[in-house]
Amino acid sequence: MSEATGNPYRIYKVTWIILLIITVAMLASEALHMPRWFLIVFLLAFMMVKAAMIGGNFMHLRYEKRSLAAVVAGGLLITSLILYTFLSREFDYIRRHLAG
Amino acid sequence: MHSSDAAVMEAHWGGGAAPFGASWQKTMMWIFIVTDGLLFSGLLCGYGFLRHISPVPWPRQSEVFSIPFIALMTFILITSSMTMGTAVTAARLGDRSRALRNLSFTIFGGLCFLACQAYEWSHLIHEGARLTRNPWGPPQFAQTFFVLTGFHGSHVLSGLIILTITTIRLSMSKTGAQGVEMAGLYWHFVDLVWVFIFTLFYLL
Repeated sequence: MSEATGNPYRIYKVTWIILLIITVAMLASEALHMPRWFLIVFLLAFMMVKAAMIGGNFMHLRYEKRSLAAVVAGGLLITSLILYTFLSREFDYIRRHLAG
Repeated sequence: MHSSDAAVMEAHWGGGAAPFGASWQKTMMWIFIVTDGLLFSGLLCGYGFLRHISPVPWPRQSEVFSIPFIALMTFILITSSMTMGTAVTAARLGDRSRALRNLSFTIFGGLCFLACQAYEWSHLIHEGARLTRNPWGPPQFAQTFFVLTGFHGSHVLSGLIILTITTIRLSMSKTGAQGVEMAGLYWHFVDLVWVFIFTLFYLL
């Protein structure tokens, strides 16, 4: 861990600044009138970067054993994706049902 | 089974005293965080589902909320996470006064966030938003807003209680670096959940 020899608090300030910059970029993207699909990809990508920075640097997951990081990040991500995929298969059916 | 075989099997499957290289307290906290994360995952997926099937167009968030105000709430929470991280490291290095100072900053940040949320809720209720009613279109909009931010706000509140107890106990030397780290993990989790709510509910 490189912080062991330097300032141990620096990582938090650097992470904080990067998170603020990303947040401002996300807010500014609304005003740029990008295509909707691009805006979605842009915001989701930055959301994941922010989550990785909080998990990795603030919660110290990047310094823990890889098995712990895999269980936490992998478990949550895969479960969410499976859940959303199953739900999304019902979108059209329910929309048609509500319309008709 | 031969004793050497048993030793090999135990090395592979037993997990040892600390399978994740972490104390049992930290492992239990991570298990709790994963289960709590699954709760929010379910809530956010449910929100996406309700939004997609809504026959009435979803309102534009910038017309309902003050996005700069939500950005201020995000700034407060991110800043409190930074002070929390500093408190955890200070406690680990034995710098108790620094840890206590940063824990106090974190509590102050959490209180500011809750005050902002109370203001936002009262403003929307004053505008006519309820769990079953929404003046800007589909009732699911207000419903998901109150459920998502309500659940998150209750986590912030419980985080504040945990932080206050930890601060008092640290000042009395009744807890140490591990206690601060556990409280910190929970607080960062609250910040992490907000990242998803902020993007998926307020921006997209």
